[in-house]
Amino acid sequence: MTPGQLLLFAVGGLSNAAYLFIVAAGLSLVFGALRVINMAHGSFYMIAAFVTVVIANQIGAQLGFWGGLLVAVAVTGAIGGLVEVLVLRRVYGREHLVQLLGTYAVSLVVAGGVRIVFGANYRTVASPIPGHVDLGGYSYANYSLFMIVAAILIGAGVWAMLYRTNLGRNIRAAVADPDLLNATGVNVTRLYTTVFVIGAGLAGLGGSIVAPSQAISSSIDTDVLVLAFAISVIGGLGSIIGSAVGALIVGMVVSYGLVNPRTNQFAIAFVFIIMTAVLIVRPRGLFGLPEN
Amino acid sequence: MAATMIVAACGSQPSGNQAVTFKGTKKVGYSAPLTGQSALYGHAVSQALNLAADDINAKGGVNGYKIEMDIQDDGTTVPQAVSNTKSMILQDNVVALMGSVTSAQCLAESPIAKQNKIITIDATCNSWQLTMESDVVNPYWISIVPNTYMEGTAAGRLAAGLGVNKIFIVSPKYLFGISETNAFVAALKKANSSVQIVNNPSTWYVPFPTNPRWDSTINAIQAAKPDLVYSNIFAADQINFVKQALAVDPQFFVKFPMTTLVSVDELNTLGSQYPLGMHAYMRAPFFALQDNNSRLADFITRYRAKYNGEYPSDWAVMDYDAFMLWAQAANSAKSFDADQVVKQVSGHTFDSLRGYKITIRPNELQANVGETIGTTTSSSAYPFPILKDSTNLKGDDLMMPLQMVNEIKGDQCDGTAGQPNTANFALCPSWKAS
Repeated sequence: MTPGQLLLFAVGGLSNAAYLFIVAAGLSLVFGALRVINMAHGSFYMIAAFVTVVIANQIGAQLGFWGGLLVAVAVTGAIGGLVEVLVLRRVYGREHLVQLLGTYAVSLVVAGGVRIVFGANYRTVASPIPGHVDLGGYSYANYSLFMIVAAILIGAGVWAMLYRTNLGRNIRAAVADPDLLNATGVNVTRLYTTVFVIGAGLAGLGGSIVAPSQAISSSIDTDVLVLAFAISVIGGLGSIIGSAVGALIVGMVVSYGLVNPRTNQFAIAFVFIIMTAVLIVRPRGLFGLPEN
Repeated sequence: MAATMIVAACGSQPSGNQAVTFKGTKKVGYSAPLTGQSALYGHAVSQALNLAADDINAKGGVNGYKIEMDIQDDGTTVPQAVSNTKSMILQDNVVALMGSVTSAQCLAESPIAKQNKIITIDATCNSWQLTMESDVVNPYWISIVPNTYMEGTAAGRLAAGLGVNKIFIVSPKYLFGISETNAFVAALKKANSSVQIVNNPSTWYVPFPTNPRWDSTINAIQAAKPDLVYSNIFAADQINFVKQALAVDPQFFVKFPMTTLVSVDELNTLGSQYPLGMHAYMRAPFFALQDNNSRLADFITRYRAKYNGEYPSDWAVMDYDAFMLWAQAANSAKSFDADQVVKQVSGHTFDSLRGYKITIRPNELQANVGETIGTTTSSSAYPFPILKDSTNLKGDDLMMPLQMVNEIKGDQCDGTAGQPNTANFALCPSWKAS
């Protein structure tokens, strides 16, 4: 493999990692703060993708995409708020299986609703950032580079929110001891709603950003969820840095694994082998914190 | 006692406005990918089957019974397709099944249908193993879709005719992809032995259903710099691959032209974004089959009227044919019994929307259906590209030679006899001799 090809596949791996991290970030945030495994995360992602495509196709790819992105994040955040109030508040503190069933039920309702509203046909939208960069004899899509930058910004933004704001301090305090936080006058119930709205909005942001690069259908919610969970488990559920590292590992393993004749057949399996190994050696994930 | 039902045929149904009396209702089952990787196809097939059932019922149904479609979503997964098949046969008492979309699903459904003696008319999944390999074969399984041998042969001849030297292969990693790619390579090498496949055989296949990101394959193509890419990826995979490759370089498919399996669904979804100049092979594109074909023209009109102006995809055309073939055979048999209906199918000739009659070869119950090849070009008549210089290859010229069929059925071409999916036509004595 030449240096140019190494770079080509590295950028491919980064693009893949960015796509997965954008989706996994909100999932990880919600688990970290609320200790809820949100099976409906993909639903918010899917709703946002559809909203973005519909708006962008109505008023043009450039302005439409950015407008669609804002609307999609607002819509998914609002739906997330409703889901938190109507469903999650009834399952906090209960065993994970109940939470899984509750959020899974939400995902089924959303999937059915999306199919009724948007139909079965795939939808596509043109890229708002067309063009490509040529380097070393190979081409790189501007939009893939944008996705990499967007993933870095999202990761940095979530980290800054958690560790550099009052909201983040309260979220971390709520994870450690919600009763004590409540006693200090912080409305923990409202805090939980806020966290879930942010998590849903992040899923929406992911769906909007991914929309121009793939066919949008009523099944993209499940397409992405398995790998997103694998990333979160590898990196540590609840850890944004862990999700970034997990996404990087998965992106690179798939990118290099699929093109190598010796590893092609096992490229996807490697992801789950790594996940299993992490679960055996360090069950809380590479950067995860032990549960109280 | 069967209930007697009176229905009024309505709209532009073929028999006009007349009352039809039925002895009762019988169900025909279809495990459909209404969600998942192939949702696009399941949507089209379901619509065509419902239209076909309406048409048949307007003409009096089958053997005096009203036919009702029993369509259940399988999410493009094998386990759900198996579960649906069992439920349709054992609980809903279907009298016939329409074949599912992927060969992996059909491979799993076939033994259940065989065990319960339910005839299956298959118009989508198309691995030749389904009708030939003795470990798999089901005497009640009828294929009216060009199988992977026929389709791979058509693609191989198409690619060989382009005069290219270096070919890159990308294919989904399951029975269909492997079966069709093997046939493609065999036909290609037969026509042009000097052609070089530039990627290692172990990298021909991508996981199915795959990650929606195609960076690895797109980058591998850039690194290999082939003259031509051969692909049989389909539905969401093909749409994602094309979109992401065009983002890498709008000239991607000019630099690396493709010989690829396409259907109206992919063309319609991508519309003007679908690359022009693609060397496509298609199973039943309505726009290439409608010349002097009033039956297809009528179908298109009624399909579009019923389904919000949608154009019928290849899958819709073929599955409408599949339903009509079954209905005609069951009426001729005056029975729903699979043995009786198969007798009215095997060796018989049927009308088809495709503009020609199709005959079911008794040896493997495969129809001599053709394949359409051509190059994608823009169209002023449709909101998506069509084919220019299209040729409708005759099924008889693509079908597997009878001697080879018999050798496969006789386990003479089996890598591991007694195990499914181990037959390989390249191991057949007659193939080696040729």
